[in-house]
Amino acid sequence: MSTDSIRVRVSGIEQVSPLIREFTLEAIDGEFLAFSPGSHVVVEMPAEPRPHRNAYSLLSDPRDSGCYRIAVRLQEQSRGGSVYMHESVKVGDELSITPPANLFAPNWNAGKHLLLAGGVGITPFMAYLPELKRRGADFELHYLYRGSSTGAYREQLKAELGEQCFLYDSEAGQRCALGELLADQPRGTHVYICGPEELIAGVREVTEELGWPASHVHFEAFAAPQPGKPFEVELSRSGRTVKVDGETTLLEALEDAEVDVPHLCRGGVCGQCVTRVLSGDIEHRDEFLSAAEREQGDCIMPCVSRASGKRLVIDL
Amino acid sequence: MQIDPRIKSRPLYDPVVIRPKAKKHLFIGAGAELDALYASLPQEQCIRVAGGADGLTEALRAELDKVFETLPLASAVYVCGSEGFMWDIRNLSLAAGLADEQVQMCEPTTKERRLFCTHCYEITEGVTHSPQACSACGRLLLVRDHYSKLHGAYVGVQINAEDPADIPETEELV
Ligand code: FES
Repeated sequence: MSTDSIRVRVSGIEQVSPLIREFTLEAIDGEFLAFSPGSHVVVEMPAEPRPHRNAYSLLSDPRDSGCYRIAVRLQEQSRGGSVYMHESVKVGDELSITPPANLFAPNWNAGKHLLLAGGVGITPFMAYLPELKRRGADFELHYLYRGSSTGAYREQLKAELGEQCFLYDSEAGQRCALGELLADQPRGTHVYICGPEELIAGVREVTEELGWPASHVHFEAFAAPQPGKPFEVELSRSGRTVKVDGETTLLEALEDAEVDVPHLCRGGVCGQCVTRVLSGDIEHRDEFLSAAEREQGDCIMPCVSRASGKRLVIDL
Repeated sequence: MQIDPRIKSRPLYDPVVIRPKAKKHLFIGAGAELDALYASLPQEQCIRVAGGADGLTEALRAELDKVFETLPLASAVYVCGSEGFMWDIRNLSLAAGLADEQVQMCEPTTKERRLFCTHCYEITEGVTHSPQACSACGRLLLVRDHYSKLHGAYVGVQINAEDPADIPETEELV
């Protein structure tokens, strides 16, 4: 990892919804650091042939440095990290995590904070809420979920937040009318979205249509790396060629070949892993590069993006 | 990535364009650029506030405070005037809950600069030459091209701190 990893022990596991498990982590040496709301850690799980590394938001109170808590939704279609967390990790196990990093912090200048959570996307907001309350901030939580699979913490949230908490169980036919909700907000409101891509895309579209300033729309858009077609990458500085199979990301393949690439989120949002491309076509899957930068075709985010052809030459 | 030939630490003033999805458009100050934009929009979506020739006076500020109270989230502000005045309006807009991208400024109407003294923190208005004596503490200040958005002013540092008797030649600012 780019940053010094922290050894942790799993001190508690709780099923918080049919598909979501919460893990409590304790530092093995010393104490954790306090963190800012919206922070995530990358959890490294010792699997074969290579460790899984997934980013999870911290959901505990940011001022509580006694333990960190994360929640993991089981994703059967994924490349295995969540299955590992659900099936292999037991209380007492040791894991490594990165120090917390934050790509989804609240803007404390906001007159009002509108939180929109979809499913397991409730997690960063669990860390927002204690801080919003301590500061006496104006906020509302709108929480969309499926009653039979997600919807963790909803009773607790409703009890604690009362009228500031709006629940929408899609299986009970409860829909959140995004257009109405977003049209009816006072000047100075910031909206934060964490959830499935469709929810994020929907809110971005609606806010744009309604004339919201883009800088008041915040979203956490980790792209879990998806498999793709195999390709080869040539490293221009050493002349080496590295093969990337369909299930492996470019970043992982480079790490396997002991080529160091700085990285942080491993989800295409932080920008740390940006690498120069000298030739070959790129399939961009990140949320970091602008449309113009994609167009230029001379940079790739190897944590999620791939070659669209058979070969890439990169400046490493 | 391209490097803009204009000086980086000075604000850049791109042509002002209508924010198409804004529900209310607030025009502040006078100028042909604003007139044309104002004329292109339906009246009921526009608010026009004159003034600004004397900067952000108390009366203008009181008037603007009332106007800002009525603005919806999807608003746009267009301002014309001296550079310092336009940045005062920008800071007022942010305090009222608008975002940077909702405030657009015309090319400043004068080359006069507002100067912020880094020694006594006071402001000197209408500066056209460098060095310039601070209107509050009298120190002779080199007018840097570095702009403080917060103060809406250029940063001034004493040019002859070693030897106040040393008075360098003045240059006209562009
Ligand atoms: S590691 Fe964050 S974008 Fe690749």
